[in-house]
Amino acid sequence: MNPMDMLEQNPAHLVAEAGREVLGRPAYLLLASAIAALVLAATLWLPNYRLLDAVFSTPGVTLGTKLQLLASLAGGLASNFGVTAAVAAVIVPVLFGVDVAMIVYFAKQRRTRLARGEIAASLGGAASGAVAAGCAACGSFLLLPMLSFFGAAGALALLPLGGAELGLLSIALLLLSVYLIARKIATPPVCELPPGGPIAPAARQPPPRDTP
Amino acid sequence: MNPEHPQHSRPPASFRRSRTGLVLFGFLALIMSASAQEEITGIVEPVSARDHVRGPRTAPVKLIEFGDTECPMCKRLHPTMQRLVESYRGQVAWVFRHLPIVEIHPKAPKEAEATECAAELGGETKFWAYLDRLYEITPSNNRLDPAELARIAQHVGLARAPFKQCLASGRHAARVAADVVDGFAAGAPGTPYTVVVAPNGKSFAVVGNQPYDTLRLVIDIALQQK
Repeated sequence: MNPMDMLEQNPAHLVAEAGREVLGRPAYLLLASAIAALVLAATLWLPNYRLLDAVFSTPGVTLGTKLQLLASLAGGLASNFGVTAAVAAVIVPVLFGVDVAMIVYFAKQRRTRLARGEIAASLGGAASGAVAAGCAACGSFLLLPMLSFFGAAGALALLPLGGAELGLLSIALLLLSVYLIARKIATPPVCELPPGGPIAPAARQPPPRDTP
Repeated sequence: MNPEHPQHSRPPASFRRSRTGLVLFGFLALIMSASAQEEITGIVEPVSARDHVRGPRTAPVKLIEFGDTECPMCKRLHPTMQRLVESYRGQVAWVFRHLPIVEIHPKAPKEAEATECAAELGGETKFWAYLDRLYEITPSNNRLDPAELARIAQHVGLARAPFKQCLASGRHAARVAADVVDGFAAGAPGTPYTVVVAPNGKSFAVVGNQPYDTLRLVIDIALQQK
């Protein structure tokens, strides 16, 4: 892609093009899907890990019943989340999967590491997504203990969406991360010029030797 | 070392900083989980005469719910629990214990006390009638007008004056607080938190407002544990 074209493109087009480039490859599409499925499953099952442990360790419970329980807990997405939290619970894993696939693609293609901004946005999005997932039950899992630890649990009562804001925050952070990595993918691999432009070849030449 | 790519010899500063951040985050999480685990025994108090029970007390399976009257998930779970007690008539007893989360629902402890006043003045029938009505009308998330508490009492057939006197006295606050301690000790991370206790004493803890089918599956498993 021409760098000038890239500058003129809006962020949505940029992300769409980079997404097509990465997810058009079956291996990366599989990676993104696997991560998204894993994160979504964790969102739905992790709060009830003790129930799953108790059921899976109970003798006499058939495999069919155990699988039925796993499937029925997925229904918690409708019963156990508010509208905003449910939307975030689905979007965050998808964005996280895409984000990781794009980061892996970029790292493998360019054999380079990402800057702090991309890493921070990606980790921040994933972390706040994990915390937001805890909002399924009132004050549950991660959010309330974290806020209590900082003596700010009461602040939760002031949030109009009762903590679902975190889901929106993680969506924003992951979108930022995806955009940053998409911009990197869309940038052709060139050796960047120093600020102020190149130094003229003549200026680089050593001074002529004094002739005796 | 390639002099053109010195960053390959050691991680860049940004990477080192994010790694430090991760270590700090992990450390913080560890401290938090350690402090949260301090009083958790994972054991729920056995059902006793002080409990509010819907269904026969001799039922083989007990559903011990820790609820907060201002929690929207508890409000949504309430009809599911009613349906379960109806479906498993005689086999399941529903026990309600208070777990008002004062940090996010400051009105909930007083509402919990109001249900206890209903029990004091009208017995178990009035406790459940009061709780049903409260969940029915509360908009949740700490938005119930406190004036409604006396109106609910009247609605379920209790006299207003003694109810108001009971509520003002705060004499059931200790009872509510004891339930909260029990809930935390039982490992409740929030509400609703339902512990399904099998006939052999094995317990299955369900976090959140899970669907009817999930609870039905857990009850069926519990019924087999003899």
